[in-house]
Amino acid sequence: MDEKTIRKDRMRYTKNTTSSSFALLAILFNVFYFVSIYRSDVGSYYYTWLTGASIIYNLVFMLVVFLCSEGVKLYNFNYSVTMIIVGALQIVRIFIIPRKAATTILQVGEEERAAMLAPQHVRVICFLLISSAFLIVGGIIGIIKGETLRAYQKSLENKAA
Amino acid sequence: MAELKLQHLDKIYDNNVQAVYDFNLDVADGELIVLVGPSGCGKSTTLRMVAGLEDISSGHLIIDGKDITTMPPKDRDIAMVFQNYALYAHMTVYENMAFSLVLRKENKNVIHEKVLAAAEILGLTDQLNKKPAQLSGGQHQRVAMGRAIVRTPKVFLFDEPLSNLDAKLRGATRREILLLHKRLKATMLYVTHDQTEALTLADRIVCMSMGHVQQIGTPLELYDTPNNLFVASFIGLPPMNFIEGKVEDGSFKSEHISFELNGEQKQLLSAYNGKEVVVGVRPENIIKGSTCAMKVTLNENLGQTTLVHGNVGGQKLTAKFREWCDYENGDEVGIAFDRIHFFDKESTEAIR
Repeated sequence: MDEKTIRKDRMRYTKNTTSSSFALLAILFNVFYFVSIYRSDVGSYYYTWLTGASIIYNLVFMLVVFLCSEGVKLYNFNYSVTMIIVGALQIVRIFIIPRKAATTILQVGEEERAAMLAPQHVRVICFLLISSAFLIVGGIIGIIKGETLRAYQKSLENKAA
Repeated sequence: MAELKLQHLDKIYDNNVQAVYDFNLDVADGELIVLVGPSGCGKSTTLRMVAGLEDISSGHLIIDGKDITTMPPKDRDIAMVFQNYALYAHMTVYENMAFSLVLRKENKNVIHEKVLAAAEILGLTDQLNKKPAQLSGGQHQRVAMGRAIVRTPKVFLFDEPLSNLDAKLRGATRREILLLHKRLKATMLYVTHDQTEALTLADRIVCMSMGHVQQIGTPLELYDTPNNLFVASFIGLPPMNFIEGKVEDGSFKSEHISFELNGEQKQLLSAYNGKEVVVGVRPENIIKGSTCAMKVTLNENLGQTTLVHGNVGGQKLTAKFREWCDYENGDEVGIAFDRIHFFDKESTEAIR
């Protein structure tokens, strides 16, 4: 067996830990986002119905991505696609709470200030972007590896036949 | 593979209990040595000293001319297969077998090739994606052996690897180990308390008792010419019959059994006239004859052979006849001794 074939053959017995690890890292950065978004540098915060929805989404996100991290280990196509979709949704989230909080003006004592100041705004956007990147890259790797493995297994079946 | 030398090994624990006394053994390249003896005789301790899991109190351990007495276990290039397999339950068979090489940071492709080759040898190719919980006892043990094989160590150590298997599986796995040894031509040290394993597997057997080596030799040597009463009683199934008595005027006389010595025996026991000796007779060396009459107490048919237990006067004897017998309790069978071993009663050493 040449090196390329050995690499493919190895996938028959080893798990896709790269995609799985990326999914777990995405959860980690989502947690960073999660703990950063519900505090404010100005001592007050902008609460709307979106806050509750965001909390619920975060819980669903963590559950789904954790399931994906297990699913992609076994080169499952559907879980890889789910990772990419959830990754895309992380980008969409930048334009919901962070944007709204940054553009909302609050009365703090005598002063009027933005609910989310620039440093916090940049920080939460970075967390969401990193989380999204891990999910999309992990999903793409999962699809590529999964397809490579399926093609290799088919070639083995053809050989055996 | 390698030559292994154990020179004057002693093991003394902190509480001053000595488990092994002056153990000496030269193992040739590719040889399978079986350490056999009852529980607590020091065989596993000796193996653990070779593995580096126990400190050596005194003596030297040499592999291929290099003294590794104080070398840490990880650097000894020795692989050990344990009685309880020691497999990682959360890992697949493949991952279990590859684990030691992953720790060594070997190339992943090399690891893959080694694992596949070992799996092929052990017939585990179809089981590589399974976890230990999905395997049978025999397969567990094969995975444990596979984990040792992939490392291509200088010496393989087996610590009672078949003890947890049922009788049928034990026989099958024993044959697999023998075939594996013939295929790998590896230097192996194998510990067991089962003499059948020792006799079938070993190139040479080391028989131990109370931390002392009693005899080192081929299975035939230990069976045919035991050094002392311990080896004679330990090797052979059913065990050897022993009759205590005296040598008097060319005859052996005990309380219940007496017989004339032949010329060769007279010469052998010429220095023992009037002294006490122990006669050893293997059950298979008791034949039907007229030396004495044995009163049957139990008849065990084993198919091709029959074990007949009985006594001559108060002397208990077990005979193994190569035929189907149907003796009833109390029947009398005339017996004779085909081959006899003599032992000095005082020293327990064989008289040769």
